[in-house]
Amino acid sequence: MELFNKQIEINKKKPKRNIETLTCECGKEMLTALVHANHSTCIYCGFLFKIPAYRRIEMIADLGSFTETDKSLLSTDPLHFPEYKKKLMIAKKVSSLKEAIICGTCEIEGLKTGIAVMDGNFMMGSMGEIVGEKICRLANQCMKEKRPIIIFCASGGARMQEGMISLLQMSRTSIALNKLADEGLLYISVLTNPTTGGVTASFAMQGDIILAEPKALIAFAGPRVIKQTVNDVLPDEFQTSEYLLKKGMIDAIVERKDLRVKLKQALSLHR
Amino acid sequence: MNSILIANRGEVAVRIIRTCKKLGLETVAIYSDPDKGSYYTRLADHAVCIGPARADKSYLNINSIIAVAKAYDVSAIHPGIGFLSENSDFQRACEKEKIIFIGPDARSMDLLGDKANARKIMINHHIPVPPGSDGEINTYPEAKKLADEIGYPVIIKASHGGGGGGIRIVYDAEKFETEFKLVRQEALASFGSDSVYVEKYLENTRHIEVQILADDFGNVIHFGTRECSMQRKNQKLIEEAPAPFIDDKLRKSMEDCAVKIATVVGYKNAGTVEFLLTQDGNFYFMEMNTRIQVEHPVTETVYGIDLVKCQIQVALNHEFVLKQDEIKVKGHAVECRINAENPAENFKPSPGTIGNISLPSGYGVRVDSGFVGGDKISPFYDSMIMKVICSGGDRDEAIALSCDALSELEIEGVSINAEFAQAILKHNDFIKGRIHTKWIESKLCSELFGQI
Repeated sequence: MELFNKQIEINKKKPKRNIETLTCECGKEMLTALVHANHSTCIYCGFLFKIPAYRRIEMIADLGSFTETDKSLLSTDPLHFPEYKKKLMIAKKVSSLKEAIICGTCEIEGLKTGIAVMDGNFMMGSMGEIVGEKICRLANQCMKEKRPIIIFCASGGARMQEGMISLLQMSRTSIALNKLADEGLLYISVLTNPTTGGVTASFAMQGDIILAEPKALIAFAGPRVIKQTVNDVLPDEFQTSEYLLKKGMIDAIVERKDLRVKLKQALSLHR
Repeated sequence: MNSILIANRGEVAVRIIRTCKKLGLETVAIYSDPDKGSYYTRLADHAVCIGPARADKSYLNINSIIAVAKAYDVSAIHPGIGFLSENSDFQRACEKEKIIFIGPDARSMDLLGDKANARKIMINHHIPVPPGSDGEINTYPEAKKLADEIGYPVIIKASHGGGGGGIRIVYDAEKFETEFKLVRQEALASFGSDSVYVEKYLENTRHIEVQILADDFGNVIHFGTRECSMQRKNQKLIEEAPAPFIDDKLRKSMEDCAVKIATVVGYKNAGTVEFLLTQDGNFYFMEMNTRIQVEHPVTETVYGIDLVKCQIQVALNHEFVLKQDEIKVKGHAVECRINAENPAENFKPSPGTIGNISLPSGYGVRVDSGFVGGDKISPFYDSMIMKVICSGGDRDEAIALSCDALSELEIEGVSINAEFAQAILKHNDFIKGRIHTKWIESKLCSELFGQI
């Protein structure tokens, strides 16, 4: 008895498989695609993997809405600091980026915003002249276009190879974002693991709304330095998002899967 | 078509993998942490861990399953039974990624998944439904008025309910208000919508269902009836095909009705229309399941077809060439579900590691097992280990063979319900057809275990 008009034909074409895996800190190995599908978190322990800047934008912005600005601004070596040029070259290779921050404009559920995303894969997301310059330029553009601005922070602090020039970026970015605030425009900063040093001491903590990812290290000087200085036992969860939330330093901790929705809510309330 | 991902586990995953293998299709199994190394993962060509035990983080995680499907570049996904099998969002996600979903389209899943809406459609097409509301009924005064009209007992059901949840039977008018509010709260908490509907609760009914299959060319055929009244707490234990103790006229009108239902909703692929049959011979539409059923092997046995293969062919847009009158039923089949549970201790689940297994075999015996010796029966999921399907020239022969088969079955390491199933098979009420869906709970259990 044949029910159908034809038989199932097996297509002999070889499937295009991409089955690379990665191993989490918890020791479990998993398909990389699964980590991506779950907002770059470990499917077992919930560990938050580092998110490359462009992937972060993909996760947050409406499809195709992102326009990058100042893509061609490149760090120089103003102080002729030993090995800096070589380090920059390696950073570019490792991260496939030109700098530690990606800036541009995008829409989130149709709401226009400026967006900047730092990437820890590029020299620990440290802030040098170009990181500062790109933030200032984006802030200016947002002011002109009456856009709010969202900055995802991930940084080891100031870029020491640029010395005083790097420290100067703290005040420059702070002033630029202050001007934005004077215009009544919203600034949301999202602190991700780790947000430290000069970045914490400047624009990261300047947001009208400060959000953080769970269990992120957020500090000026890190726990090791503090411990050596005070010579005492540090509290549990010291310098984590959870600790800072308790102390009133940040407004909310948002799970990665909810970030887009929360940002959209904040933007729509501000409109 | 060259590969299929099976978005399920255990027995049904084994069942689907076997058909895929037979057809030369490559298989990708997914498993949660506690299912690591389970039999179905070893049978499949590839097996991928998709997360921890909790189903919402593994077998119900649409993003993860689609990601695995894409990483392995599979042609199709078979959702199996339970989990995401009746989830229209999953079907849409597959469609978006150009992966064939082996099942109906999202539209008919939504139409039939909303039980109040399904009821409305049936009323509009003159399909018999138990007396009750036209569709959903969400204000207390309206619902109370209706319940008083149709008379108690009434049953209040969540429109989006399933798996036995969001259902309450009310025997007297005074309790209606509290129960009505409770179901709505429960429904909102469990199914995300507090929409409910009210029906007359029909007592001492049999559960009879019709297997249908529809292709993409508007052809709908049925593969007869199944008797599934042997249930405990809405979980079926023993199923038969064709349904016994109904005359040919009644059988035909149920079958025709099922075909009509599939036709009016524009259904595609395999599905099951469930009916309630009252003692006086009236039948009513209960619901339509938009997937393959656990008890499909009894139908396969008496019709000589492979329903999973049919599902794949329909999904590939193959067209029926056989007409309904060319499809003939032969003999009788009985399926017993073997669960890791202890009937004497109020059916307490009995998870654990299976030791030696001795399976029945021989002419007319089919065993669909999800596990082999050494496998673990996990406490996280349902407790079904296997199904024993026996067939014979007539019902008596199939029942006798089932009894013999179950007495040959031995599974070490966990408690099973094989003796309990035999008690049903040997009971005079079962043999004579004096059965209804509450028979096990109200009669057999008290006979065997005393009043509980």
